[in-house]
Amino acid sequence: MMAILQTPEREQEVRGLAEAPHHPARRRKTPYQGAARGFIAPGVLLVAVLLYLPLLWTTFLSFTEYNGLGDPEFVGLDNYVEMFTDPSFVGSLMNTLLWVGGTLLIPVGIGLALALLTWNLPGGIWLRLPFLIPYAVSGIGVGVIWSFILSSNGALDQALAVIGITDPPRWLVDAPLNTFVMIIAAAWQGVGVNALLFTIGLQSIPKEPLEAARVDGATGVRLFTSILWPMLRPLTAVVVGLSIVASLKTFDIVLSMTKGGPGRASETLALTMYRETFVNSDYGLGSAIAVFLSIVTLLASVLYLRQQLSKKHEM
Amino acid sequence: MKSRRMVGAGVAALAATTMLLTGCSGSGNGGAEAGATTGALDFYTDKAAWEPDFDELNATSEEAVDITLNTTGYSDAQQYDAFIKQSFRTDKSPGLFTWHTGDSLEQLVDEGLVAETTDLWDTAIDEGWATEGLRDEYTIDDKQYCVPMNIAYWVMYYNKKIFEEQGIEEPTTWKELDAAAAKLKDAGVTPYYQTSTLFTFQWFQQLVAGTDPELYKGLSTGDVKYTDPEIVDIMNIWLDEQEKGWFSDAGSTVDPAVGLKQGDFAMINFGSFFNGSLDGAGMVSGEDYDMFVIPAVNGDLGTTPVSVESGPLCVAENSKQKDLGLAYSEWWMSADAQTAWNAARGDVAFNPKATVADPMLSELGTTVADGEHSLFTRYFEATPTPILTVALEQFGAFNANPGDPMPFLEAIQAEADTYWADQK
Repeated sequence: MMAILQTPEREQEVRGLAEAPHHPARRRKTPYQGAARGFIAPGVLLVAVLLYLPLLWTTFLSFTEYNGLGDPEFVGLDNYVEMFTDPSFVGSLMNTLLWVGGTLLIPVGIGLALALLTWNLPGGIWLRLPFLIPYAVSGIGVGVIWSFILSSNGALDQALAVIGITDPPRWLVDAPLNTFVMIIAAAWQGVGVNALLFTIGLQSIPKEPLEAARVDGATGVRLFTSILWPMLRPLTAVVVGLSIVASLKTFDIVLSMTKGGPGRASETLALTMYRETFVNSDYGLGSAIAVFLSIVTLLASVLYLRQQLSKKHEM
Repeated sequence: MKSRRMVGAGVAALAATTMLLTGCSGSGNGGAEAGATTGALDFYTDKAAWEPDFDELNATSEEAVDITLNTTGYSDAQQYDAFIKQSFRTDKSPGLFTWHTGDSLEQLVDEGLVAETTDLWDTAIDEGWATEGLRDEYTIDDKQYCVPMNIAYWVMYYNKKIFEEQGIEEPTTWKELDAAAAKLKDAGVTPYYQTSTLFTFQWFQQLVAGTDPELYKGLSTGDVKYTDPEIVDIMNIWLDEQEKGWFSDAGSTVDPAVGLKQGDFAMINFGSFFNGSLDGAGMVSGEDYDMFVIPAVNGDLGTTPVSVESGPLCVAENSKQKDLGLAYSEWWMSADAQTAWNAARGDVAFNPKATVADPMLSELGTTVADGEHSLFTRYFEATPTPILTVALEQFGAFNANPGDPMPFLEAIQAEADTYWADQK
């Protein structure tokens, strides 16, 4: 035992403890730190190989012309210039912004409303459950189901015909209607999980301020705006942040419902990236869109979360 | 002791990672060794639905040349193309794979990635297994690459019961076709099928090639602009037909074979491989459905143009199974192989000496070779990929919202201008 205590490592630990008050920034090395590094190394290696290397490769490709064969040819900023001067790219960007706005308003908004309405309600979980089940369906699955409903002469059109509406809107053909109905399809899937997250947030609010507010006569909208909403802010930040990121990446539902068409009327940025890379074999332009999309997603997340966190700090 | 534990943990974890990474790298080329001309040949295709047909052929090929296909089918064309392109960067490039003729094949040839098949074509021509016209589809700089997997003619399929009910005979002129469409519309039947995704080009190709084959060829070489007044006039014919309500709703997702069966429309312009889909939908060839060659728009043309597509079977130049792939390709072109293939798949035959099981397809093969028809390359293969991508989208948008053709044509021409400028 004494021999162990006298090892140089142990002496270093003791010295570290003794020095700690004078150098609070220096961290003490634990006995298992080395072993932990050994365990973490493969994970770090995997992330580096499977995430960061492709990221660097994609960034490199975005400055090249490359059809997937032979060697990429360096073309500087040509792909970025082409991207921003293409009117279809601008249309795709606008559709993506519609998705961001739409998914914030509909699934997040309804999710919050559902959580508030079923919170503290006996059997509330059973009311939320039907909304949660669609979350188990994949994006492509949601697209297939809603295509069946919304395609011309599909289930919805046939149902409308029964009540005498024989000339219904062309849900998936006319733009921007097709983007709106796809947002509703995405909302059908996303409402439940948002409601669940907001319910968790509501349940984590301490009882004391709630009781105090109620004693002071705050109910309904007043209780929500003055107490619940500010106290839900940390969770709202996460839900809205996740929603923004998810909607910027919108791909699977659009691919399975309209393939971005007709023409490119309902295309989103992720679909444009796929189109250029895999349909058109223009890996350079596809990579430039991927880099742009990554930067926008990262910036939106960082700016939003930073703003929300600073508000939390102010509280 | 601690450092030993750390090293042990690190080694174990790295070993696990290595196992994981090597596990992801796939099993590689199985079967025959490099240079072998018999054995199991790794075969990749984007026609996943045809996998049972290729498997069915194994008994015949094993007996004939002692080669069997180990088939991997992809159902997503884009995913498949990306996989094949990436495989050339590894030592796992396929011994045999399906591809596309035209611009896509030229890209591979330019990079020296596919094995030359000139000798196989010389043998096939000598034996009377293939025509010179077909050889042209596989010729790049006077050399041949790949062999034809199949051939398909783009014709008009129709619902026989609807035609009989309306007293309509198979049209032999454009005027008769128009009259048939008008009669069907008057009877409350939508004459033609259309869609807004992927197969959006066929009516355009039919109208242009049927009006002037040289004009059609000029589009594929960049000599004719999509905004050319003649093309605009042709688009206006299409628009006029759209406005008459002759086409089905482009937003419908009903399977086209099912649509023809249940009478959503009376006719559909499709490749002769569509027999398989119609049979699958429960229609009987010759009883429930039939087909006719679409008459030329311009009746003064000497011959009736028929769109033809041919999908190639290729061998990778650096594949370990190159010799095996070429040996199979040689056998594939033979009359025996094509007779077996047509029995398995139900397809028209590119080999005139092969026996075609389906009488309708057999008759079609004879018809297009009667000297009164001329073949032209399908728009899909004739058009360079970047222009094709935009054109398919624009024709889809036109089908969905028919209107002034100029904006659609200008969008395609803008892409064509960019493409052809890069080629100079």
